[in-house]
Amino acid sequence: MTTLIRIDLPTCDYDSALRLQRRLVARVAADDTAAYLILTEHDPPVITLGRRGSSSDILASPQQLADSGTEVRRSGRGGLATWHGPGQLVAYPVLRLDRGRRSVHGHVRNLEEAVLQTLARFDLAGRRRDGEAGVWAGDAKIASVGVAVQRWVSFHGVALNVCNDLSAFEMIVPCGRPGGAVTSMTEMLGREVSVEDVADSFAEAFADICGFDEGPTLADGEMDA
Amino acid sequence: MNIPDDLNYTEQHEWVRFADGVATVGISDFAQDAFGDLVFVDLPPLDKEFVRGDEVIAMESTKAAASVYAPVSGKVVEVNERLVDDPGLVNSDCYGEGWMFKLAAPDPAGLDDLMDAAGYEAFLTGLEED
Repeated sequence: MTTLIRIDLPTCDYDSALRLQRRLVARVAADDTAAYLILTEHDPPVITLGRRGSSSDILASPQQLADSGTEVRRSGRGGLATWHGPGQLVAYPVLRLDRGRRSVHGHVRNLEEAVLQTLARFDLAGRRRDGEAGVWAGDAKIASVGVAVQRWVSFHGVALNVCNDLSAFEMIVPCGRPGGAVTSMTEMLGREVSVEDVADSFAEAFADICGFDEGPTLADGEMDA
Repeated sequence: MNIPDDLNYTEQHEWVRFADGVATVGISDFAQDAFGDLVFVDLPPLDKEFVRGDEVIAMESTKAAASVYAPVSGKVVEVNERLVDDPGLVNSDCYGEGWMFKLAAPDPAGLDDLMDAAGYEAFLTGLEED
């Protein structure tokens, strides 16, 4: 059985998290007995464009981006434009997708399911939409999914709005939907929820859905051990 | 799972057909099924040289991006332009109309590393174990 090793990065800039993912992709490609789940919040905030994303999906001016300290990165994941930053839980699973009857589309569904179960633990009802990836609460998007696969090993993943400032999404056309409404767990619940609380629920749900053993949790700097 | 006898296969789930020094490449039935419905295929330019293992094609489903790699070294002599407007051909007919690119590979080093249909079927069976 595959063991899921969790890596907690309390906060992490986008480039460092991507470098870590690439190292883990190489490791899993060579030895698929382990799978990894990186959990973090991106700081500084970052707007990422998927391979098909257009810079016209960024509505903020260069000055607004600079004033808010927001980075802009082109990303090899699927999907269009999105925003990451403090208060948003980002989960990046690195695992083989051609093993154990898994699949790429199944992996995307599993990420959504883990979000749905996480929301349920906080008594929130989320839902999917036909033909789209992601999770909605009411008519507003609460989680975005964008996955990349290299030699059948996944990276990138899912971002769940927990307590982030939602006005940051006004800087972009989220996932190609102009004016697409977004929400967060804190907004839906009417009380503050922390990323830490949500991260534990997400990790448990994801391991359970994938049928993985929950392995050790590593902190930043322990990955090379 | 459809695994034609007359093709060779890679561990990254590409198929290859050799004829007259040209390698025609696509992705296997397993690969198209595991990836999901393609919505975008980024084809390589003609005449570009690739070394075995290089990323040749970027493809995307609704929310996932993946690559197709060169099974042998060679120069691109033809790409399947139909995939630009109709990437779903890869899902509906991965060994036929969904072929992806052709490499001129007169002396394909690494050919021995490819699997035949029986070998690939055994490889897939091995992957079912987790």
